[in-house]
Amino acid sequence: MIKLLKQFNWLLSLLFGVAVFLFFAFYYQYHLHYQEQLQLFLFTPYYWSDLMSRPGGLADYLGTFFTQFYYYSWSGALIISILLVLLQLGIKKLCNVWADRSLIILPFTFVPSIIIWGILCDENYLLSALIAVLLPLGAALLHLKIKSPVFRIIYIFLALPLLYWLSGGVFWIFGLLCILSEWLYFKQLTKFQWGILFVIVIGCILLPPYVASIFIQYPLRRLWWGISYHRYPVVSPYPLLALWSSIIIIPLLFAFIKGKISRVKNVTFLSTSGIIMVSLFAFFMVKNLADWQKEEIMAYDYYIRTQDWQKIIRMANHKDPNTPLSVTCLNLALSKDGSMGNSMFRYYQNGPEGLLPTFQRDFTSPLMSGEVYYHLGFLNTSMRYAFEAMEALPDYKKSSRAMLRIAEINLLNGEYKVAEKYLKILQHTLFYSKQAEQMLECLGNEQKINANPQWSLLKKYRMKDDFLFSENEKDQMLGLLFVNNQSNKMAFEYLIAYTLLTKDLDHFVQYFPLGKNLGYKEIPAHYQEALLFYWINTGHDVSSLPWSIDPAVVQNYINFAKALASGANVNALSGGFSQTYWYYLQFAGGDPLNYSQNPIY
Amino acid sequence: MIRYTFFAAIILVILSGCKEQVESPDKIDSYPVILPDYVGVTIPASIAPLNFTFENEKFEKIDVAIKGKKSGEIHIQDKEVAQFPIKDWSNLLEANKGSEITVTVSLKSDGKWRQHKAFSIYISEFPIDYGLAYRLIAPGYEVYSKMGIYQRDLSSFDQKAIYENTMVPGSCVNCHAFNQNDPATMSLHVRGEHGATMLQIDGKMELYKTKTDSTIASCVYPYWHPSGDYIAYSVNQTKQGFHERHNERIEVFDEASDVVVYDVKKNQLLTSSLLKTDNFETFPVFSPDGRTLYFCSSKKFDIQSGYQNIKYSLCKISFDPETGNFGSVIDTIISSETTGKSISFPRPSFDGKYLMYTQSDYGNFSIWHKEADLYLLNLLDGTSRRMDEVNSDDTESFHDWSSNSRWFVFSSRRGDGLYTRPYIASIDNEGNISKPFLLPQKDPRYYDTSLYSFNVPEFIKAPVDVNARELEKKLLSKERIQMQLR
Repeated sequence: MIKLLKQFNWLLSLLFGVAVFLFFAFYYQYHLHYQEQLQLFLFTPYYWSDLMSRPGGLADYLGTFFTQFYYYSWSGALIISILLVLLQLGIKKLCNVWADRSLIILPFTFVPSIIIWGILCDENYLLSALIAVLLPLGAALLHLKIKSPVFRIIYIFLALPLLYWLSGGVFWIFGLLCILSEWLYFKQLTKFQWGILFVIVIGCILLPPYVASIFIQYPLRRLWWGISYHRYPVVSPYPLLALWSSIIIIPLLFAFIKGKISRVKNVTFLSTSGIIMVSLFAFFMVKNLADWQKEEIMAYDYYIRTQDWQKIIRMANHKDPNTPLSVTCLNLALSKDGSMGNSMFRYYQNGPEGLLPTFQRDFTSPLMSGEVYYHLGFLNTSMRYAFEAMEALPDYKKSSRAMLRIAEINLLNGEYKVAEKYLKILQHTLFYSKQAEQMLECLGNEQKINANPQWSLLKKYRMKDDFLFSENEKDQMLGLLFVNNQSNKMAFEYLIAYTLLTKDLDHFVQYFPLGKNLGYKEIPAHYQEALLFYWINTGHDVSSLPWSIDPAVVQNYINFAKALASGANVNALSGGFSQTYWYYLQFAGGDPLNYSQNPIY
Repeated sequence: MIRYTFFAAIILVILSGCKEQVESPDKIDSYPVILPDYVGVTIPASIAPLNFTFENEKFEKIDVAIKGKKSGEIHIQDKEVAQFPIKDWSNLLEANKGSEITVTVSLKSDGKWRQHKAFSIYISEFPIDYGLAYRLIAPGYEVYSKMGIYQRDLSSFDQKAIYENTMVPGSCVNCHAFNQNDPATMSLHVRGEHGATMLQIDGKMELYKTKTDSTIASCVYPYWHPSGDYIAYSVNQTKQGFHERHNERIEVFDEASDVVVYDVKKNQLLTSSLLKTDNFETFPVFSPDGRTLYFCSSKKFDIQSGYQNIKYSLCKISFDPETGNFGSVIDTIISSETTGKSISFPRPSFDGKYLMYTQSDYGNFSIWHKEADLYLLNLLDGTSRRMDEVNSDDTESFHDWSSNSRWFVFSSRRGDGLYTRPYIASIDNEGNISKPFLLPQKDPRYYDTSLYSFNVPEFIKAPVDVNARELEKKLLSKERIQMQLR
């Protein structure tokens, strides 16, 4: 093994790269899709100049450039793995120069890459944080190529402020790496030159953020930290300190003990131990920093975005969704699949918030709940949610997904001029330009718009009469939408689902007949359960049921009522009845229903 | 000598090759449809070059020859946009002040030139202020992203940030106002966790808390008294509603609103029972002599069911700058009951001749009303008219007068129906209004790609000097001067 490594020590880098690739391409891919949609990289001079007009501009530009390739998880994963391997190779080079080309050292050159791998598992750390360290590291490696001490000092003097502008707050590691290279590798400087070097490095590290603060309206703290490493401007990205310090400490540590390393005889044992240690470090690092619950929600989000309803239902069958947003996605999928009335209570339901979540001023929730409004036909509300999500992005990067939706709705609304504006902007993207082109061809062409079945349907469903949307009266909004077009089956089912989830059976019974012309062959199972419950609990007899209720449903309810009356608790009933509406009524979604008439149980 | 002559000849050949001759063009008997539309506009001599391009015509080369009626000419050629050198442009306009320049545009496509009918641009004798101050903000709903108050030198394309909300993350900045366009006396408002109202008078910056126990909200919509001793504000409990019909978006309305006047020297908010009624009072502005306070007023209606009934009339009340007392009578100048419409943003010209306002079907936030148009009230004879010279099929809303009252800037959504752009027009002695021109940009395609609206464009006589770092520091501190009610 070690012999193999001696000849091919790049094999470890390759294996590491493959591991990173597999992780992001197949296990953590929805994080990549999530990140991709929350930015809008444009191939325009304005986009370039906008990002380059502030410190860290090049890292930010390259970060957003590469992040757009997260559109496909495999290409995103490939980019991350290549960048992480580049970082490792850079550290290896430093170790080789400062310390020794020892196989004992080699495994530890992966540590900074593993740290940033773990950090990138947090969706709010941006790829620019990784690129930003590669720039000063690359510049420090270039410094090693300059033979003349004077030229090296001039190079450091020129490169430090430039690096501040290109890579942002992490630029200082270049100065430190250069000083260490002078000390540990070149060993050529006179005392005077050392003095000059220190003055230059300290001056060029301290001054740029202050100078930038005169021209750039960002808090000084952010000018020190770097503007574009983290999505939230108020967050100080402390975990990056671990990465930055590891880039210096790892080579420095081995430089200090290189004498001892050269005397080690059992290289095979120590290097193998090193590989195992670092592998374990990587395993626990990623295991602890990867957020699988978020990954699941992002998966739901990805599939409602791509309208893969069956995939969502399969995911829910595999594992019951239990977060408000994943329940929202499932309910939308069930509705689009036509199985909402029969299946929604077979899964966990968290009340009306799982149907139409209350608007949140963030960039995640509105994007997902906006999808529901879009398919319902609340086009203006859907557009509002997309716009708000885009504006809520704390790094001001805009959102390709949101902009496409805004353009689409403006197109459907006949607001062609503003639709054209967005579409022309999207033409400058890599992965949305084709859709933008197709939509541009539809501008002002009703025939082309109507040729798209989904658009044609949405245009029929959208409101013809005006009203102000009320977040607090969603049932009324759904009612108005359905009255606006009584073939809008989804509006009907959401209205009914809303009454069921709020346990408002009076309105459920009132609205239920509205669905008689919607093509139901039989009353959906949950509606039967609700109707039966209402009928019996309002003092009526089963024999006088005015609706066609399956006798099996009646028998099931009698069993449920008896079990409840005999004192069965939530756990006892969950086995046989957890997938019924009665179970939800009794045990989920807030307080159980309290009817004036005594229930029969 | 021969060698020099040879080199000179070569250089001449190279230079002449830079500009192709427009030979035997096909003549087109119509004006070019340029972007922005600068055909027949009237401009001040100090305005930056009116760079333009074509939106719907494809071409390989554009050739523009401009000739001054009095003197001077410019000739440029480009592949995409017509961009004029600032110095040449400035000299040309200065030389032709009070006259006109003629613009001949030729386009080359498929190796052949075509030439449009030449059009004129008129150069006014009247100067315009140094620049504009405006807020750049996305035309959003409730959430806001990056925004700021910026100043633009009208004689160049230089735009500088006065204050951007990146300085204090999460903040919103609005309500910038200057005393008769003088930036030495200014105010702006920052909302959010560290919010405050900033007043800067002759370089001294102070931050205020404007909400008092006796007023219903913080002070907004400021308008300085010409003496600089008072600021008129309204206090509004503002809410937003969102339309569901496809061609409407947002409705901004007040659940309650009153008018107050702030005495800067005494740190006192002044009001009157006539300005603090159950009705809605908003958008107060002082007359140029400072003795009249104009404002808008509407009867109160239930928002959800009757928001379309809320229609504001233009009213006035006398004001005594010596005592800070208001008159005892409110005069209704233009009644919404008569017009059936609603008035917002009254702005008297500084020469006392006119009052410009926005009129829409209902409500007071006219920027979201496509039917909103500008109107001009002649204060000398009391007549009022729609300003058809500058209105469009889309929204016209906020507006402001230049110091000499010869120019006005207004915001309009005619460009794309959503993103507000600033237009400037002139008015002469007889009240004739010129065709407005869009604030020129270095790249005329700027507005098509910008995701910002130009919000509340205000003229400024000189550059605004606000120390943004000082403002940041003061915002982050808890120190605020509490405004007191008299």
